[in-house]
Amino acid sequence: MTRSTQKWYDKPVSKLIIVSIALTWMFPIFGFLLSSFRPGESIKRTSWWDAIYTGTLWSELNLENYQEVFRAENLDRSFYNSLAVTIPSTIIPITIAAFAAYAFSFMDFKGKNLLFLFVVGSMIIPLQMSLIPLVQLFKSGIQIAGISIIPALDLNGTFVATWFAHTGFGLPLATFLLRDFMMGLPKSVIESAKIDGASHFTTFFRLVLPLSFAGIAAFATFQFLWVYNDFLVANVFLGIYRPENLVVTSHMSQIVVGRFGEAWHLRTSGAVISILVPLGVFFGLQRFFIRGLIGGAVKG
Amino acid sequence: MNNIQQKKLLNFGLSTLALVIFPLIWFLSQALLFRELTNQVARNLLVLIAIPFGSVFVFLLFYGMNKLITYAPKDKKESLEARMFVGPSIFMIFLFLFYPAIRTFYLSFKGRFSDEFVGLKNYRWAFTDAEMVVTIRNQVLWLIFVVFFTVLIGLVFAWLTDRLNKGESFFKSIIFMPMAISAVGATAIFKFIYEYRPTPLTQIGILNGIRVSQGDNCWNNRIIDGELKSFGDESCLQPVGWLQQRDLSSLPIAETLEKGGWLGNFLINLPLSTFFLMLIMIWMYTGFAAVVLSAAIKAVPSEIMEAGQIDGASELKVFKSIIIPYIKSTIVVVGTYMVVTVLKAFDIIYVSTRGDLETNLLAVKMLDEFSKYRDFGRSSVVAVLIFVCVLPVIIGSALREREVSNS
Repeated sequence: MTRSTQKWYDKPVSKLIIVSIALTWMFPIFGFLLSSFRPGESIKRTSWWDAIYTGTLWSELNLENYQEVFRAENLDRSFYNSLAVTIPSTIIPITIAAFAAYAFSFMDFKGKNLLFLFVVGSMIIPLQMSLIPLVQLFKSGIQIAGISIIPALDLNGTFVATWFAHTGFGLPLATFLLRDFMMGLPKSVIESAKIDGASHFTTFFRLVLPLSFAGIAAFATFQFLWVYNDFLVANVFLGIYRPENLVVTSHMSQIVVGRFGEAWHLRTSGAVISILVPLGVFFGLQRFFIRGLIGGAVKG
Repeated sequence: MNNIQQKKLLNFGLSTLALVIFPLIWFLSQALLFRELTNQVARNLLVLIAIPFGSVFVFLLFYGMNKLITYAPKDKKESLEARMFVGPSIFMIFLFLFYPAIRTFYLSFKGRFSDEFVGLKNYRWAFTDAEMVVTIRNQVLWLIFVVFFTVLIGLVFAWLTDRLNKGESFFKSIIFMPMAISAVGATAIFKFIYEYRPTPLTQIGILNGIRVSQGDNCWNNRIIDGELKSFGDESCLQPVGWLQQRDLSSLPIAETLEKGGWLGNFLINLPLSTFFLMLIMIWMYTGFAAVVLSAAIKAVPSEIMEAGQIDGASELKVFKSIIIPYIKSTIVVVGTYMVVTVLKAFDIIYVSTRGDLETNLLAVKMLDEFSKYRDFGRSSVVAVLIFVCVLPVIIGSALREREVSNS
């Protein structure tokens, strides 16, 4: 008996287990999503399963919560902030890492192995380990023996602080993954480009970058979702006290922690909106994402 | 000065230029420019500028370096170019990851305001302070249960879906989907399930909803035939704040457990809220385990499995003695990933209970010490603790990988 001859109805028990796990996994979202379309008063008066049972649910559903969460809560501003944090935080590390990965794969220089070991070794550092000094660095620079090596920058609370923080945390993995990918490219193609007189810069942009698309997309998807869904770095470097600095996750955290008591109509609709972008990216680029995820097993 | 020394000096100068000076200039100029922009430009415009500005600026660095490289002496060109390519990566990792990590280690031996050495005082605090002991206990419980259940459910799910002819990717997408949701969003979803409201009010969280409507005359404010069946009398079960239970002692079940000797005593002390919080993480990460393990199961050669089946082994037997040994290394990789992820778990606790009522975890404690209590020494110690726990796990997996690739 091979796997291909097994029928869909072959094993009712295993099918039952699969379906029940899948239903269990869907269940939390189901009631939550449903409630996001119910008026705040109804959510508090009747539970959503009672509303289904008695049939009152279907007449209540509307989009007012979504309008309110945008109008009264300015969730759209946080959404733009999220993009302003996420897109550069994805592009900067990829660019820097791609150049480094190219050098590690195709160029010869002194200390190459040592430097690469440094990159790989830094993957074991959890980001918690760097958080406090990084905040201090962005605020008041670095002084050694009274000499200021990096001046006081006063960056905390600006987007640029999160860009650099995410770049630092994401670079080891990005460099490692992209180097791994580029090592798999056919050496002969790069050699022939060299013989044709192309500079490294040209080879990189014209040849290696397009060929590494899958590797770059894997890391980009992973990093995009990671930064967009991140709450810790945004909390530390942008803060959660100035409303114009909120990103989607920190804004959601405020709504969930409960500035308005039991505002479940805002919590549900806000959370659903915040989920839409990553879900779209996820379903569109699923195979890249999984690839980056497996590689990212040890990200800081 | 002879020729060799001169060459060495030149080499050193060029390396410094590539590895330090250029990236530093780039970092400072981007930082200062954007900071000024933040102060000058209106907010709406800023967001609009930020995306292209942040994204394009990094290309200027490499473009500028490429221009400069044409002035380099011919024989040095190749090695200088290589260094310029790796320079920014090394520089950024050093400045934003490596140097701060060393400094955190250093700060962990210093006092609250980092002004005096206190020796091991912070470390002693980490293992004796009552709140820290509870935090470490929670972290251990999380590690055991979350890692075990994500891997177990993921493994079973991967194995079962692998044998389907239709709908495999559909089911895998469903269980994997929570991976795309932020931990903040996932916590919101589960808080809605655990929601507690005092008794005359309708229970809108389904756990309490089911709980209070058990029994003949117990209702959760349901309208039946135009008549409101409101909350029952004292004999009905009361709703429970699931995330506020540091143990089981305030639940009705405690009375039975108290008679149960040491086992009852053990059960009564289980941190209930911690377990409910773990469910959020299990829900989020099981799909990851399932997808990765499923890929590994697919790689098991079908000849081996067929051989087992011809020998008369049952499906379960094939799973246990052929599939699991074959994918053991992948299980370890997934387990490693989960251990590291659990050690860094932050958002779930921060958004749900804020670490109150004995639910805290290390990563939350670290940030609390930093931003709430402003004790940099203690905060650093907690960070070092996380690092020390992560270290052996990752080194172990790296060594194992090397063994596999060598053999």
